[in-house]
Amino acid sequence: MQNREMETCYRKILDRRQASMDLPPYRAALREEIQDVLAKFFAIERPDAEVSGVKRVGGGASKEQFFFTLTQDGKSEQFLLRMDPRKAITETDREREFVLIKAMQGLVPAPEPVWVDNDAEHFPQPAAIMRVVSGVTKPSGAGVKVSGLGTYLGPNLRAKLRDQFVDHLVTIHAYDWRAKPLVGFEVPDGDPRQAARWSYNYWRGMWDIDRGETKPIFALVDQWLRENMPETAELVVTHGDYRTGNYLFEEDSGEITAILDWELARIGDFHEDLAWVLMQVFGTFDPEDKTFRASDLFERDEFIAEYEKRSGRTVNRATLHYYDVMSSWKCYIIVAADGLEAARSQHNHQDVLLTFLAGASAMFEGDFVRLMKQTDLTQRQEEPA
Amino acid sequence: MTPNVDERLASVVRSLTEVVLPHLPPDASLAQEQVHLAIGHIQIIRAQFDQVPDFEREELDDYRDLATALRKSVSGGEKTSGALQAIDVALANAGGLGVRDQRVAVNKAVEKLVDALPLDGAEGAQGKAAQMIVDHAEHRTLKDREWFVPFGFDTL
Repeated sequence: MQNREMETCYRKILDRRQASMDLPPYRAALREEIQDVLAKFFAIERPDAEVSGVKRVGGGASKEQFFFTLTQDGKSEQFLLRMDPRKAITETDREREFVLIKAMQGLVPAPEPVWVDNDAEHFPQPAAIMRVVSGVTKPSGAGVKVSGLGTYLGPNLRAKLRDQFVDHLVTIHAYDWRAKPLVGFEVPDGDPRQAARWSYNYWRGMWDIDRGETKPIFALVDQWLRENMPETAELVVTHGDYRTGNYLFEEDSGEITAILDWELARIGDFHEDLAWVLMQVFGTFDPEDKTFRASDLFERDEFIAEYEKRSGRTVNRATLHYYDVMSSWKCYIIVAADGLEAARSQHNHQDVLLTFLAGASAMFEGDFVRLMKQTDLTQRQEEPA
Repeated sequence: MTPNVDERLASVVRSLTEVVLPHLPPDASLAQEQVHLAIGHIQIIRAQFDQVPDFEREELDDYRDLATALRKSVSGGEKTSGALQAIDVALANAGGLGVRDQRVAVNKAVEKLVDALPLDGAEGAQGKAAQMIVDHAEHRTLKDREWFVPFGFDTL
């Protein structure tokens, strides 16, 4: 595992994950503790400001999040604290997310990042603070959905959101990372398959560290991913977790006010984002016409056509198929290895959610079967270097 | 006489639903979410508890059937032969292990075979094994998906 190449940042994340194996249990932070740590932090950053209204934010499956108010000179501002638990269902880097969201200001709607404490000098765990943005992740009355999965928007909101959804993704992919480099983001341009390889290597590293229990179909898919890595024709900034549930919108107007959860972003292949958008787990089957819609916004071919039209790119169906497989494989690793390991080691603040999410693993095995049946299993490319 | 597992779990659900949940502060969002999830978890466990041993036994049998079929169907050089021997060992050691450990052992041995076949499997063996694994998974995964339908993720 140590020899697998990947971005330096991801290597550090894996090392941190490995090193945390023997640490004692983690428990959810108490509001009073967060109030105290925020007060100490702002005594340094803004000595005349007062922290109040600390309130835990529900939802989500990976970070501890708290709203709070900062008042200075009679002016009150609302902020969001995002803090890592000891071990999360996805292991990421607060500094990296901070850098990217800052770069996206003015390009797409995104929260304004203000402070980051990546080395946990001030907070109990790595943390970042952003300004609060108004909006909701699902319509009121949409019911309780775990981690925003399967959110039903309905025809009215769908009509308002869909163009924005594609346009913002196109804008993210158009970010000029050559002219405006993203500190800490390495570019997989060593060879045409490096983007796919770095992605594979990171997730496979997580699987190994978190002691995923193998099954024959997983082993087959894993091997297929190793043997069929596509060449990346154009390197873009990817969001990594682009879907309904990861953006805020105004319920009345349908305007997207912020794109959230940038922590899995990287420089890579735009097909990786498209395949993630198209995952069945993030979409809905319309109760009226039984149609599947990705993120409850687009049918599959419709989304691809819209992306092509608005981006000017051509979607390579073979490459998209590769990333379809990789998306289900990543999701399987997340729920069947990473989440379970975080719960097993008591290193998370919501173990009961993580073990519940593991119930989705069979659905991803179903994806493996469906996708492998679309694959000529007698063909194989050369083993990548 | 002692209360059975279902009665005990039902009492836990009732306690969480009627005593704990209503007394949580409205802004205790994480606690509320986790109590709801705990209730959901327990209800699913109640519904499946009696069937778990049979489900896991059938699951093991399915994976043993696949391993046995692969053992008979493919061949190859040193690495493939080593993996096939590992399958023999995993299948033969069944008596000393619990059902879950047997499943892990058998599936690890099959993974070893999957990894070995591209290296020195006989002509066509890799494709043949792959097809057998997909066919098996189509059958096995359907059972798993049905089992996990109560979690509410699957649109099966």
